[in-house]
Amino acid sequence: MSSDREKNFPALWERLRPECERIVSQYERKRSALLPLMHLFQAHEGFASVEAMHAAAEMVGITPAEAEATVSFYTLFYRRPVGKYMLQVCRGLACSINGAEDVMAYFREKLGIGHLQTTPDGVFSYEEVECLAACDRASCMQVNLEFVYDLTPPKIDEMLDAMRAGAYAVAPMAQTETPSRTWAIPQDAQVAGGRKSRGADGVPRPDNAGGIGDASGVIMLDNIINRSITGFTGTRERAVVDSREVVQVAEDESSHAGH
Amino acid sequence: MPVTKVLTEGIGERDMRGIDAYRQRGGYKQWERVVRELQPADVLDLAEKSGLRGRGGAGFPTGRKWSFLPKDPNVRYLVCNCDEAEPGTFKDHMLLEETPHLVLEGMLVGAYAIASHHAFIYIRGEFKRGYEIFMAALDEARAAGYVGANIFGSGYDLEVTVHRGAGAYICGEETAMLNSLEGKRGEPRLKPPFPAVAGLYGKPTIVNNVETLAYLVPILERGAQWFAAVGTERSKGYKIVSVSGHVQRPGNYEIPLGTPVREIIEIAGGLRPGRTLAAVQPGGGSSACIFEEHLDLPYDYENMAKAGSMLGSGAFVVFDDTTDFVKCAYNLVRFFAHESCGQCTPCREGGSWMERVLERLVRGRGVPGDYEMLLRVAGSITGLNLCPLGDSIEPFLKSVMVRFPDAFKARIAGVREAQPA
Repeated sequence: MSSDREKNFPALWERLRPECERIVSQYERKRSALLPLMHLFQAHEGFASVEAMHAAAEMVGITPAEAEATVSFYTLFYRRPVGKYMLQVCRGLACSINGAEDVMAYFREKLGIGHLQTTPDGVFSYEEVECLAACDRASCMQVNLEFVYDLTPPKIDEMLDAMRAGAYAVAPMAQTETPSRTWAIPQDAQVAGGRKSRGADGVPRPDNAGGIGDASGVIMLDNIINRSITGFTGTRERAVVDSREVVQVAEDESSHAGH
Repeated sequence: MPVTKVLTEGIGERDMRGIDAYRQRGGYKQWERVVRELQPADVLDLAEKSGLRGRGGAGFPTGRKWSFLPKDPNVRYLVCNCDEAEPGTFKDHMLLEETPHLVLEGMLVGAYAIASHHAFIYIRGEFKRGYEIFMAALDEARAAGYVGANIFGSGYDLEVTVHRGAGAYICGEETAMLNSLEGKRGEPRLKPPFPAVAGLYGKPTIVNNVETLAYLVPILERGAQWFAAVGTERSKGYKIVSVSGHVQRPGNYEIPLGTPVREIIEIAGGLRPGRTLAAVQPGGGSSACIFEEHLDLPYDYENMAKAGSMLGSGAFVVFDDTTDFVKCAYNLVRFFAHESCGQCTPCREGGSWMERVLERLVRGRGVPGDYEMLLRVAGSITGLNLCPLGDSIEPFLKSVMVRFPDAFKARIAGVREAQPA
């Protein structure tokens, strides 16, 4: 069943179209507008939805697969819905030798969640991120990409209380869908694309939340068999796997195959 | 103390974000002079004579980089690299937020020097505030006629496009940046061809760091000789050093190149009381550590290289005797493993494997042979990748492993005692 957000997407796209066209017109080649367009859609939807990737792909003249392959490279595009406050705490070296480990432990305890997770009430998402270029004000973080410096436990308490009360100085992110436990597509799913294997011991990671690769980079047939796959066309077809065939995914539009 | 205020003049003292404040300090006068009175070749000549070298990390002479452009009059682009993400570096972030018009004027001058009509600034995705500040500055400059068509009635047109990244350290590498700017994955390209020959959209392109371009403005104002008179033989002029870690007053300090390492630590307030120095990482996460015996070295490109490290982007991280270097090594190796784009096997696989080994060392669960294996794996990554990211994994790790071997080996001994079976 499609969500309200999906139903509302065509209207959103229509409303943003003039701004999208302005963005595209800044570049000699349209594809350059892909990231800016995704920033725009994410600002309105709260995450980088498949619909937004499709729309952006269409506007810049690439395939949906090319758009997703590109968008998935960048960590600031959230592929699934996130909390109203994205808390990104710096784990860079300069922060880590100036108290970041304690700060991160404090956040985990206070929020009851870990790295790349969202609280059940959908208010907070928490991520430990790489050096934020504010090392003179360690420990630092960003809240919805606004910097907060010189973190201390009382400062963190005050911040979280204000956010819960809806009185925090930084505006909450748009939230058009209820977030699930994590917004990250597990690395194992990327592994299936031939990139970034975690080594070759072949042990599936316990936090595998739906990827189809194992830790060695081998696609695990067990994970594919009997698994619904949502294609770019929006059709849901069952992947058919046996020992002789590899994978067949039926698609409405054959033009998407092979990309 | 040789702290100087050139680019950092007024920062932290007054608000210089608006165009009026910037004009009050002489802003855009040089841009007007360049467009009205100078030829591109004059600006290139000035950059060469000043001895200005790239402030983003590689330290390549700016004028010479520009001179690699083909001589034909075809389309070429300038890209200002504001994707500052080298661990420990926070100078471009400051310049962008505090003095956006200086950044813009530097870009305009750089674009003119290479006869470009379209300049881009690639701003790190996390710098949302900086992006907004720069956009406001660009609007002001456009309204004032400094950007756009027929600037100062000269017939010279120059458009500026602001492009936000979206979270990828590797996009600071210039060819990865160009791919990202083209709407692709930020994967570095094989060089040659270098961007000066085939860059953005396959056209000749120059990528310069924010600080590099910003220095063009005071160089125009005060002359190449003024800049070249400061510094050491081959490291001329000033540099913003981002000092962090175990010092009492971390911050950005603008110093003449060649200032002794010891003085930089003192400028930043020195160590905390009762502490002694363990190491300094003088050029960002990619650089090897230097130690007590290097404290009197001049901080410049040559001496940092001679000490087995590099000046890099000017990120200067100080470590005192409380530091756990196994944790630090794990931190940086994990960083590079996380940021590897995945194209080159040594970087992709080697980084992830080393991260795992270091993780078990941090937990005190290392196994015999880990010490030697780490060094061996690190050594077999360096030099075998398309871009410098893979090569950045080894220097810090090796420097602290060689200096503090016991810190690493103790994490192995621990596991043997803990496993009686």
